[in-house]
This record gives sequence, C-alpha cells and structure tokens, in this order.
Amino acid sequence: MSTSPAPQTTDDASLVLAAREGDRAAFGDLYARYARMVHGILLARVPANDVDDLVQDVFLRALPRLCDLRDAAKFGPWLAAITRNRANDFHRQTRTIAAATDSLSDDEAELPASKPASTAEATRILSFVRSLPDAYRETLILRLVEGMTGPEIAERTGLTPGSVRVNLHRGMQQLREKLSQAALDSSIQPHSRSGRNSTVQDKNALRRRTEP
Amino acid sequence: MNDDYLWDGSGEPDPEIQKLETTLGRFRHQGQAPEFPADMPLRRPRFWRRILPSHWSLGLRLAAATAVILLIVAIGILRWSQKPGVTSGPGWDLESVAGTPRVESGTFGKRAKAGKLGIGQTLVTDSHSKATISVAEIGTVNVEPNTRLRLMAGGKGRNQLALERGTIQAFIWAAPGEFTVDTPSAIAVDLGCAYTLHVDDSGAGLLRTTLGWVGFKLDGHEAFIPAGAVCATRPKVGPGTPYFEDSAASFRDALSKFDFAVISPEERSAGLGKILAESRQRDALTVWHLLARVDESDRGRVYDRLATLVPPPSGVTRDGILRLDQIMLDLWWNQLDLGDVSLWHIWERSWSQDKTSSK
Repeated sequence: MSTSPAPQTTDDASLVLAAREGDRAAFGDLYARYARMVHGILLARVPANDVDDLVQDVFLRALPRLCDLRDAAKFGPWLAAITRNRANDFHRQTRTIAAATDSLSDDEAELPASKPASTAEATRILSFVRSLPDAYRETLILRLVEGMTGPEIAERTGLTPGSVRVNLHRGMQQLREKLSQAALDSSIQPHSRSGRNSTVQDKNALRRRTEP
Repeated sequence: MNDDYLWDGSGEPDPEIQKLETTLGRFRHQGQAPEFPADMPLRRPRFWRRILPSHWSLGLRLAAATAVILLIVAIGILRWSQKPGVTSGPGWDLESVAGTPRVESGTFGKRAKAGKLGIGQTLVTDSHSKATISVAEIGTVNVEPNTRLRLMAGGKGRNQLALERGTIQAFIWAAPGEFTVDTPSAIAVDLGCAYTLHVDDSGAGLLRTTLGWVGFKLDGHEAFIPAGAVCATRPKVGPGTPYFEDSAASFRDALSKFDFAVISPEERSAGLGKILAESRQRDALTVWHLLARVDESDRGRVYDRLATLVPPPSGVTRDGILRLDQIMLDLWWNQLDLGDVSLWHIWERSWSQDKTSSK
C-alpha cells in the first residue's frame, strides 16, 4: 500500500509564510502535500469528472487568500474548509440540488457502453462510498482512494485521530453492509443467472465478514 | 477483525480492504502541480502605494498619507461615538449568504455583504436570509433563516456563541473544547466535529452530529453525541439521552418519553425495559448514558444489558458501575470507541476554572 506520507522536511507554517512572500516553489510544495486531501474531499461531493478542475481551482482560490490565514500552522484545516465550500459553490452554480450521491448518477451516465467492467465496478463501489453519511465518506475516500493513512488524514484535516479512526471503522462497516446487500440483490436478478455460483459465494463471504 | 490495517496499513492486511484500494485507486489524484499565475498578487500592496501617484515626492506622499490616516481616525471616532451598543474587541468575520441578515447595534445590513460580528453583538436572520460567520483558525458557522445568534466570547482558547433560537451548522477545526454554543437548555461543546444545532421558540433544542463528536451539558447533566447520533434538550431538564438516527422508531419514542414525559415511576421503569429490550449493539451509546440517568434500583439491569452489548473492559466492575464510579464509567465509554472522554474532562476543568474566575 502506498500510504506513507511524503517526508515533511519543512513544516506547513514555514511553507505558508514563504508562499505569502511570493515563493511559488513553497506554494508548489503545499500543493504536493495537500493535493490528495483536496482531491478526496471533492470526490466525496462532486461528480468525478469535475474533480481535477476543481482541485486546481481550490488552490488558485487559496493562493491569494493566504494573507487571511492567521495561524499558518492551520493551513490544512483551512484549505479543507475552502475545499468544502468550493464543492458547495459547485452545486449552487450548477443548480444541482441533489446530493453528491445523486450526482454520481452523472458519472455513471457518462460511462460509455464499452467501458471496461473493472471501471464500471470501481464507479459502482465509489457510488456506495458516496452514499454513506457525510461523516464517513470523506474519511473513507481519503483512505481507500487517495491512499492516506488514518494518522495522515487527521494531521492534514485537523480532525482528532480518535474521530478519524471511528469514522474509518464505522464507514467501513456500513460500506461492507452495502456491498453485501448489493451482492444479495444482484444474485436474485434473472440476468445475473450465469454468474450465480460466484455471486452466491461472494455474498456468503461478505455475509461472514459482516456478521458480528 | 482488528482494524489496524484500515487505520495505518499496519498489522495483518485485510484482503477486502486491499481489493477496495486497488479498485478505487483508479480515482486517485494523479495531477501535477499547475503553473500558478505569475501575476497573481500573493501579498496585498501597501495601501499608500495603491492610492498615491508614484511621481509624488516623499514629503508629499508622507503628508498625504498622514492626512488620510487622520481622516480615517476621525471617521472611526465619529462612527464609534454614534453606536453606544457596539462592543469592541475581536470578532468573527460575517458574510451574507442570502437576504438581509442584521446585526443588532451594528452596521451589517442591507447594502453590506460582509462585515464583522463583534463580541456582545447579535446576528438576526429573517425567514429569507442566511449568513456565514467564520474565523480562520476556529471554523465556520452557517446561520440558517429565522435565527438569533449572539457572540459571547472570542479569542485564544475560548469561542462562545449563544443560540437563542433558530438553526446553525458548525464546522469546527479548533482544538476540542475551544468552541461552545450556549442554548436556553444546554451548552454544546465541540470535541472535534461538524454538527447542526436547532433551538425552537420554547428553548428546546436538537443537536445532530455529522462528524466527530459533541458534548452537551446542563449543570450535572451531560450527553456525548458522536457522528450519526442525535440528542434533544429541554429547558430546565437539560440534554436527553443521545441515540443513533438509524435506531427503531419505537426505541426512539420510548426514549423520548423516558427523558421528557411526565410519567409515574412505574411507567418510567416499564419504558426503560422497552428501551433495553430493543437496543442493538450500536445502541450501546444510549445504554451507557442510561447508567447515570436511571434510579439506583434499575441500574443493575442497565449494566447487564450494556455488558451484553459491549463487555466491560478490564478494571470495570459491576459494583463500581452501580455506584457510578467515574473512572469506570470513563473506561467503559472509551471501550465504545466513540471518542476519548479525556477531551471532555479537560474541557470541563477549564470551563469550571473560567466560571470560577469570572465570578
């Protein structure tokens, strides 16, 4: 698993202070350090196809506002708040009232018929993650999609390690239940008859895993 | 299964999580750092550089700058003297999101889109208006329509709002315990979280946590509300027993009656039986809280039910819990894995000291 955080030879506060003075390399370092967090927070809220553009937009918004950040050491939580606000703005601008879980249908609609099954499966699983309560989906996406560890998520977002751990644990529990339910549903659909044996095996395996 | 692998990748790898990582990894951020525009101002130019022509001599610039400063000071003094109700000191940044939010005794109004909510000032939204207040190192609070919100304190280590009525959504990244909201029936203490708090015209409240956890307190009455849980509160009663939103309707009804209805001791005891019988493992949250809320004669069966749902950890005994030994209660709470109770006690100590010193 590629989850080890990049070594922080310079702390955030020093980079923020340097970036405020016009050091673009320092801001680039902050980008490298926080791009995954921003990407993950956005992916939990907006359609996947829009995320990359919004990541850059978030950093471009943050750059001129660095002077508003009173405590340079709180860059991560501050940037996370900007990111969440940007996701909210996105929905306001596009007049998408539906929650991110609904907007995921946009992602699915954009899947070409010839899309590889593995991509369709990934999109389907992502939709399950994004249907989880807010509390869990952001943390779970940072962990499973962006490959960040729990301690790293806590350090970057400013949440307490205890909260992150609980969110990961509960979120994973709910995700397993949803995957199990989906496997159960697909097993009783007529068109899935050809793969029935493997589906039933998967379902049983998931059941065993989710049983207390 | 041990969740060490989920937490930090250590321990025995979980094949299901590994498969999810591989499958979902295709969505991972791959982008390179963009070229940040060279002409984007990273630092605001000094005010006098923006307003004074560059060909002016230094003496002329100084004279003009002095005149401008004197003018600003004079205007400031004039405005301050015309607003006896406005307090000075640190405040929260205030932004209008919709309609015309109003700051009592303040200047934030119809034409202003942004301003400051000073300590002692009250923000009022009508049925069409919304606002956001924020401090960079504390967090953001969205203020919904029909809300009255007062800033009681702001500054290092202590930020206090009072929600008289209406709804707020708080997203807080300050250290646990540094942000509190007073309501007519309880104090909400942030312990690292995001939550929604509603207070109706009677002073009754409802707190719904979406991230992290929140403490709710009135006198000796306390409740801890983790993500996904809800807690109601009533004037003169304080916080009820928290519960997860996905619990059964009959469970929630029984709990509401137990907490707030005027019923006989027999009815109360019967209601408790129903709550315990319908509790799931996840409802250990509720059952743990009941330990300190039931009569001594009922505490034994609450203990037995909680021990079934979440076995007491080492160091916790039945006798100790029956006499409400605080250390044992804390140990058992931590066993629920919903938050570290030591954060709460740290806040309680500092809060008590604040109250004592302010008397």
